[in-house]
Amino acid sequence: MRVFWTVVARELVRFIRSWQLVLVVLYAFTMEVYIAGSGIELKPRNVAIGYVDESGGGLSQKLLHYFHEPEFLPPVAFHSQAALSQAVFDKEIILGLIFDEDFERTFRKNKHATLNVLLDATAASQAYTTLSYLSNIVLNFSDTAFSVELVTHKLFNENANNATFMALTELLSITTMLSVILTAVVFVKEKEDGTWDIMLLMPVDAKSIILAKSFSQVIIVMIGIVISVGFVVFGAFDTPIHGSFFAFLVLAFFYAFTGAGIGLFVAAVAKDVMQVAQLSVVIMLPLIFLSGAWTPIYAMHPWLQTLSLLSPLRYFIEGTESIFFRGTPVLELYPYFLGVFSVGSILYVIGFRKIGHLF
Amino acid sequence: MKLSVVKAYVLKELSEIVRSRLIIMVYLMPTMVLVLFGYGIRMEVTGARTLIIDYDQSHYSRLLIEKFAHSKYFTVQKELRLESEALDAIHRAQSDVVIIIPESFEKRLLHGQKIQIGVFVDTAFPMRGSTIESYVKGVVLNAASAIQERMLDRDAHTIAINQRTLFNQAMRDEDAIVPGLIGLVLLIAPAILAALLIVKEKEKGTIFNFYASALSKAEFIAAKLIPVFFLHSINIFILFLWATYWFDVPFRGSFWLYWIASELYLVISLSIGMLISIVTRTQIVAVVLTVIVTIIPGFLYSGILMPISSMVGFSRYEAHIFPVMYYNHILYDVFLVGEGLASAKTQLYLFILAFYGLFLMGLGSLILKKELR
Repeated sequence: MRVFWTVVARELVRFIRSWQLVLVVLYAFTMEVYIAGSGIELKPRNVAIGYVDESGGGLSQKLLHYFHEPEFLPPVAFHSQAALSQAVFDKEIILGLIFDEDFERTFRKNKHATLNVLLDATAASQAYTTLSYLSNIVLNFSDTAFSVELVTHKLFNENANNATFMALTELLSITTMLSVILTAVVFVKEKEDGTWDIMLLMPVDAKSIILAKSFSQVIIVMIGIVISVGFVVFGAFDTPIHGSFFAFLVLAFFYAFTGAGIGLFVAAVAKDVMQVAQLSVVIMLPLIFLSGAWTPIYAMHPWLQTLSLLSPLRYFIEGTESIFFRGTPVLELYPYFLGVFSVGSILYVIGFRKIGHLF
Repeated sequence: MKLSVVKAYVLKELSEIVRSRLIIMVYLMPTMVLVLFGYGIRMEVTGARTLIIDYDQSHYSRLLIEKFAHSKYFTVQKELRLESEALDAIHRAQSDVVIIIPESFEKRLLHGQKIQIGVFVDTAFPMRGSTIESYVKGVVLNAASAIQERMLDRDAHTIAINQRTLFNQAMRDEDAIVPGLIGLVLLIAPAILAALLIVKEKEKGTIFNFYASALSKAEFIAAKLIPVFFLHSINIFILFLWATYWFDVPFRGSFWLYWIASELYLVISLSIGMLISIVTRTQIVAVVLTVIVTIIPGFLYSGILMPISSMVGFSRYEAHIFPVMYYNHILYDVFLVGEGLASAKTQLYLFILAFYGLFLMGLGSLILKKELR
């Protein structure tokens, strides 16, 4: 036991001595999470609209009134269709509306008027939503005596607050990244220096050294998570938590160990830090992007859906979402704990065995 | 610059990369990322898991349910009787949306009275939630207005939308995402490779060879970057082939423009890695810093997630600072738009890319120290 804690303490001291590393890790857990939370907005926001009005105003202006902030920027008038389409081509305008000369006349005559729309669909997600906004606006406008009304209840994240969601996603990605890279490098450094073989040959139990070394990195990551959740997620974004915070910490702890397991595996395969960098990016990127953080799992390609069952991050993210937003009771969280724990322990054991062998 | 010295150094670097099997990673990583993400990222919400509670059980309510069942945006799981059961399913993340049709739906519809349809959406994932909400609105309003028009037999004032979707007519997710991914991959992979080139020598102590040699700073940087530059140049073609043949993304612009812009961009991402390598003292810091500096802004400012024109305030300035925005504008132009150099904006952005690369290179050779600190 004494050996265990000595090794843990040694690794922690070594981490703190490298001020550059401490700074980078702190930056990742605070600023990076903050930037992602405040910067990325997946809903259409400030969609730039341009229009050409040949109908002479009236109806067209009334329609334009419906495009308001925060979803749309104030519409910009263009003199000709050519100028408008040039602006769309230059990506300055996303949605171009063209009101024909007889737009208003046909509408008044009880006929179906046509509104010409130019839409830049290179940012597909915004295009989809902008289009459905547009059709809802027009539908609402078409018949004022219309009587069906939708009463929408947004569950779990009442304001559909993107900042909270993105900040959490980013935190989980950073946790993945750091737990893998930090652990892998701790071992590979020893391999590079040639001290690892000596370590395994020493009359100290190799198992406790491996455990202690990875545990020290888990501690660093856990401290980072607590700082990040405290200052950024709760502090800056004022995220409500509906479930048990303790359950989140336990889940995060399991997950950090899973990451360390992946790190062990990477360290066992890689020969130097260069290979660690390449390998861990190759392993991490799919892990992060197939976890359901960016795209819902059920919307993925079928074989990717199956593959994502192996991603421990998937369980971690679903579990965290449930704890923070859905407020799922602790006992009902068992699938996520089970998922993280089983995938994690398998990875850890594989890595543990591989790195523990001399040859 | 003494070419023979640089050549010798380049050969040494090249054989190191090949011997340490890094060469596999140089070609495996970009391809893997492109294929995985090309399939894995979907912006469109299709098949939202829908539970419908029908209290009315009438002809028209069933008609409405049918509309949902036929829409590709919704997968109707089953029709339930109990509200609590449905809400429970949402809580366990087994459904995304619950739609409640009230008892007197048909009667009120026929009489033109006000009807309220209850919708519960899971917005734990906000983007998905709001998209589903607006789709539900669209389906319901469409269906109801069709029914009402027919029933009341009166001409309503309507406006039809004649939409011309530019650049990505079918609104395929692949067309929207894959070009952006090339911009991301060509930023991350070269930067990570270059980030360790110099700091590795610092950590091992072999950097003293350089301090003591007659090699100048510019020659040293050139020797370090030339092999990785050529190795990654091949990736420009590989990624192009994946995009056009595997993902069927149209290519409407000039290949020369794509090639030149990509090479310039490659210089930039290599320089970013090199700068990190010069500034940092240990390899681990270099790795973590590169991953942070490239992956997140690469996604944020690529235009995949959010058009630059929609950004406000600080993020708008930040987007203009990172090179991704300029390269991706050209990428989307050559793949989807096809205006090429005829557009003044593309010319400007190409110029900015060239300037950016030169600036980073100059900065790198300026702050690289050829002496013991």
